[in-house]
Amino acid sequence: MNYYIEPVARLINELSRLPGIGGKTAQRLAFHIIDLPIERVRELTQAIMKAREGIKYCSVCCNLTDQDPCAICSSHHRDHSLICVVKDSRDVIAMEKMRDYKGVYHILHGTISPMEGIGPDEIRIKELLNRVNNSEIREVILATNPDVEGEATAVYISRLLKPLGIKVTRIAHGIPVGGDLEYADEVTLSKALEGRREM
Amino acid sequence: MLVLQLRELFLKKYRNYIDLELSFHPKLNLIVGPNAQGKTNILESIFLSCTGRSHRTPRDRELIQWGSEQAFIRARVEKQTGTSEIAIRLHAREKKKVLINQSPAARLGELMGHLNSVLFSPDDLKLIKEGPSERRRFMDMELSQIRPRYFYYLQQYNRILNHRNNLLKEIQKKPSLTSTLPVWNQQLAEAGSFIILQRMHFISSLQTIAQEIHSKITHGSETLTLEYKSSIPCNSGNIEKIRDNFLKILKARQDEDIESGLTGKGCHRDDIVFQINGMDVRTFGSQGQKRTTVLSLKLSELEFMFKETGEYPLLLLDDAMSELDTGRQEMLMEYIGKVQTFITLTDMNHLPVLKDRSKRVYRIYSGNAVLDESLSF
Repeated sequence: MNYYIEPVARLINELSRLPGIGGKTAQRLAFHIIDLPIERVRELTQAIMKAREGIKYCSVCCNLTDQDPCAICSSHHRDHSLICVVKDSRDVIAMEKMRDYKGVYHILHGTISPMEGIGPDEIRIKELLNRVNNSEIREVILATNPDVEGEATAVYISRLLKPLGIKVTRIAHGIPVGGDLEYADEVTLSKALEGRREM
Repeated sequence: MLVLQLRELFLKKYRNYIDLELSFHPKLNLIVGPNAQGKTNILESIFLSCTGRSHRTPRDRELIQWGSEQAFIRARVEKQTGTSEIAIRLHAREKKKVLINQSPAARLGELMGHLNSVLFSPDDLKLIKEGPSERRRFMDMELSQIRPRYFYYLQQYNRILNHRNNLLKEIQKKPSLTSTLPVWNQQLAEAGSFIILQRMHFISSLQTIAQEIHSKITHGSETLTLEYKSSIPCNSGNIEKIRDNFLKILKARQDEDIESGLTGKGCHRDDIVFQINGMDVRTFGSQGQKRTTVLSLKLSELEFMFKETGEYPLLLLDDAMSELDTGRQEMLMEYIGKVQTFITLTDMNHLPVLKDRSKRVYRIYSGNAVLDESLSF
């Protein structure tokens, strides 16, 4: 049985298809939108449309951008011979918050995962290779997640780049800064021990 | 010697017990009653307090009394360092909650340090009789309990294996994907060599103990050997060498693996071989030899846990005594002196060797337990 009139039901259904939105939240949002003045609703829909239509992938690093090449790729203050490879755009934001990284990025938009049918052709590895072949690159930093898929992707890329004589590095994993050894789990601790360095 | 004791057990809405409160003898506890009255349910709840899971079912729902939403188990444990309390709340629709001394445990593994047990039931014969997966499960369960890293690598291994198998099937349709296979080979060998090495160490230390026990049970007439049989050459005992061998085998079998869409070799195919006087127990052993082998194995588990944790675990014998002859029963009795033991049986007369021992006897009848004062002392 349908409790909602059709347009409301459709709105709720569309909203609940967004990530992190369940049925209850979708209902709340839908009724909130209906209560808004019509101008506000127009602003919202225009913002959504503009974002979707105005944003494309940077032709250099594959990040989301409104100008091509993106702000980072066209900046003169960046070291363009240093590329940090990440899984998606959210990782770029995390890295940028650090304010310490002065190189550029390459966004893969996914990791190799045969279980989901994602191979190297489905993510932006070819673009990375073209980039490396066509410009002067000093180092490639592989910053994919330290899980099975992220690790596989990193290993795959390093196998492609190493023969080209490029320095390939992998980010370290271990004890978080400000963390307490006694609270670290056994696996993290053993990884940290494996990756120890001489002082 | 360090003593570990289960002093009290409370069950609420657990299986056929509405409200049960038992206090135990420090050495020997008998749970006596006819079939289908709930004897094993008591042992199961003790096992659950040790590991966080039942040995009979993976579904918590079955442990909760029919018509109820939740069940409670509380165990009071005494050891040299003081008493502690383990409480488990099972819920029909939620995850179970484990409280150790009133504070919630983040994972079931935390129980390990508080209360351990070795359970011996007629079902354990599967360990010898059935396929290799039972024996791998045995190793994986033991090692996961004592080594958190083992559990991590095992999960990783299974995930990588799953990816690799999927990839093999994809390659059948799209051969260009073969270029990504080495990536998965490398990761599989990395996790796999760790697993193999841990299992080898485990089996060899278990064998030292099992051999001695088995020889005692059989009055020196039988020599039991345990061998970890891997599809990857691993005699070197060196993790780098095992990893290299693993990689070599994966590479050599590449075409076969692609054709079948499965990874044919690796530690997910490994096994334990039990031999008595050089003969394979699984194929050539008599029923009695199989039973004795399991008994030796279970008793070595007891000693192994003692070595690893410095404390003897509880010994839970589920209907296991009636199947053993007097000689073997006596061997078990030797252990009963060392560790706190819980035995279920249908008839007291089945165990004449227990008659003169100080103990507690509970009579079970359809969800009620009554202390038999005349036999408990």
